[in-house]
Amino acid sequence: MKSMKKVLSIALLLAFALTIFAACTKSDTDKDSATLSGTVKTGGSTSVEKVMTALIYQFQGENQKVSVNYEMNGSGDGIKNTISGLYEIGHSSRELKTDGSEDGLTATAYAIDGIAIVVNKENGVTELTTEQVKDIYTGTIKNWSEVGGKDALITVVTREASSGTRSAFAEIVGLEKADKPETSIVANATTCDSTGAIQTTVSQNANAIGYMSFSDVDTAKVKTLGYNGVGCSEATLKDGSYTLKRDFYLITKTGATLSPAAKAFMDFVLGKDGQKIVASNKLLTIE
Amino acid sequence: MENSITRTSSITRKRKLKKPVETIMNVIFLICGLAAVVSVILISLYMVFSGAPAIAKIGPLKFLAGQIWNPEVNDFGILPLILSSVTATGLAILIAVPAALCAAIFLTHIAKKRVATVLLFLVELLAGIPSVVYGLLGAILIVPLVFKAQTALGMPMSGSLLSASIVLVIMILPTIISVSVASINTVPKQYNDVSLALGSSKMQSIMRAIIPAAKSGIVSGIVLGVGRAIGETMAVMMVAGNAPIMPELLKPARLLTVGISMEWAYSSGLHRDALYGIGLVLFVFIMIINILLSSILKKGNNTGNK
Repeated sequence: MKSMKKVLSIALLLAFALTIFAACTKSDTDKDSATLSGTVKTGGSTSVEKVMTALIYQFQGENQKVSVNYEMNGSGDGIKNTISGLYEIGHSSRELKTDGSEDGLTATAYAIDGIAIVVNKENGVTELTTEQVKDIYTGTIKNWSEVGGKDALITVVTREASSGTRSAFAEIVGLEKADKPETSIVANATTCDSTGAIQTTVSQNANAIGYMSFSDVDTAKVKTLGYNGVGCSEATLKDGSYTLKRDFYLITKTGATLSPAAKAFMDFVLGKDGQKIVASNKLLTIE
Repeated sequence: MENSITRTSSITRKRKLKKPVETIMNVIFLICGLAAVVSVILISLYMVFSGAPAIAKIGPLKFLAGQIWNPEVNDFGILPLILSSVTATGLAILIAVPAALCAAIFLTHIAKKRVATVLLFLVELLAGIPSVVYGLLGAILIVPLVFKAQTALGMPMSGSLLSASIVLVIMILPTIISVSVASINTVPKQYNDVSLALGSSKMQSIMRAIIPAAKSGIVSGIVLGVGRAIGETMAVMMVAGNAPIMPELLKPARLLTVGISMEWAYSSGLHRDALYGIGLVLFVFIMIINILLSSILKKGNNTGNK
């Protein structure tokens, strides 16, 4: 009896070990990888990380001999390095500057990310202007009564320092200090480390205000505010009247001929398959 | 004794087999023992090597005594985080230790056997609940209560240091209670008997004879509790509001642990290294607390008795 048990336990152990190794077997995807080959150097925005990583993953899967590099160092570096020729394609989550410093580049939008200003459902306020949002986040406006709500102190909710949504929000509303990446958001603002945490915090605090990616808003939990008189919806985002949003761009040199691999990558991102990935990452597609 | 003699015969019969088995087992135990020691050393080295460069680059004084944490402009002062951690943990211990001690005395010497068994089971159940559940409870039950206090005092409603401390109290109570109960139970029954025979009341003998004898076990319970409180992240993050400002009871506060986990995902360069630096500070912190608490409290106990 005893030896039987031993044999059984050893057999079980072996079976367990085998299942672990089984997971390591090679996946054979020797698909016909066409004629495309080479390396595409890209880099820039960190906000596009999620969708861009998914796009690159899919593209490289379809074109085994092409490798697409993606250095994450911010939109500014992405644009700068595209001018210098280091990157064939730069990633940017902001528009090109029109002051002449970023001439000679073409920005091709491939996704729209809306930023919704959210408040608790009990809040009577329905819309804010850019100025009001700015004053709330810098601590100048402290009470909801100053913007047409009931008499209650505002709880400012923000994202953590390195968040892409935070920097985009600060940039669009004008919370950035001159020539500095620093934002002037009040130091005692409640800080959340994710979109979900913002939504939960705002839904549980009657006097809170927060901002989050529009695609993640659950209207059962929070209420979105109008921005400069325009409601926040898919329609207003698409027709461009809701301005608290940012496009994700691929930056290229105007008139330059891209390598076949780079061109294929751009076509893929803007094409049906790429846009499907954009949509599955909860962003609005370009139509 | 008789038992061991009968067993020897079976051992001598299998001596040939026993010898190699014994050596193999020795080696296995040695490896297991070393694994624990080696991992402690490796973790220490890793923390120092990854955290120290950033601290050196920022400047130890600027890092440890700086009052502004703003990675956007390379301000890496973690004094608010350190003080918040200390305040929250200190407050939690201040409330939890007396409560836990009373609970342990009740469970071991006052409550009836059956009641004590059930209660102890519940306490141990409490110790096994994942911290995120405590965070949820805190966010749903405690934070709204604190909201009321904040509104009454004319402050904006938000997560706060107080909420974090209360959640920590609930979290460390079961740890301290169960360790204390275990150590009180190891005190020989004679201590109690002798003390009673000398004419002291039940309470006197518990307080003067049993608790001092169980002191070192209770201290380990407190050390464990402090460790759990200062290292807790998830539950605290859900109720504390997490603004990196100097600790005030009813204002949001960011603890050291939260400071790391909150910004980890998107950080890079010096910012990420600074987060390693926070990790190193936290690590050193826990070491110091462990050494101080156990040495001072245990020593005090010994000299007091002799």
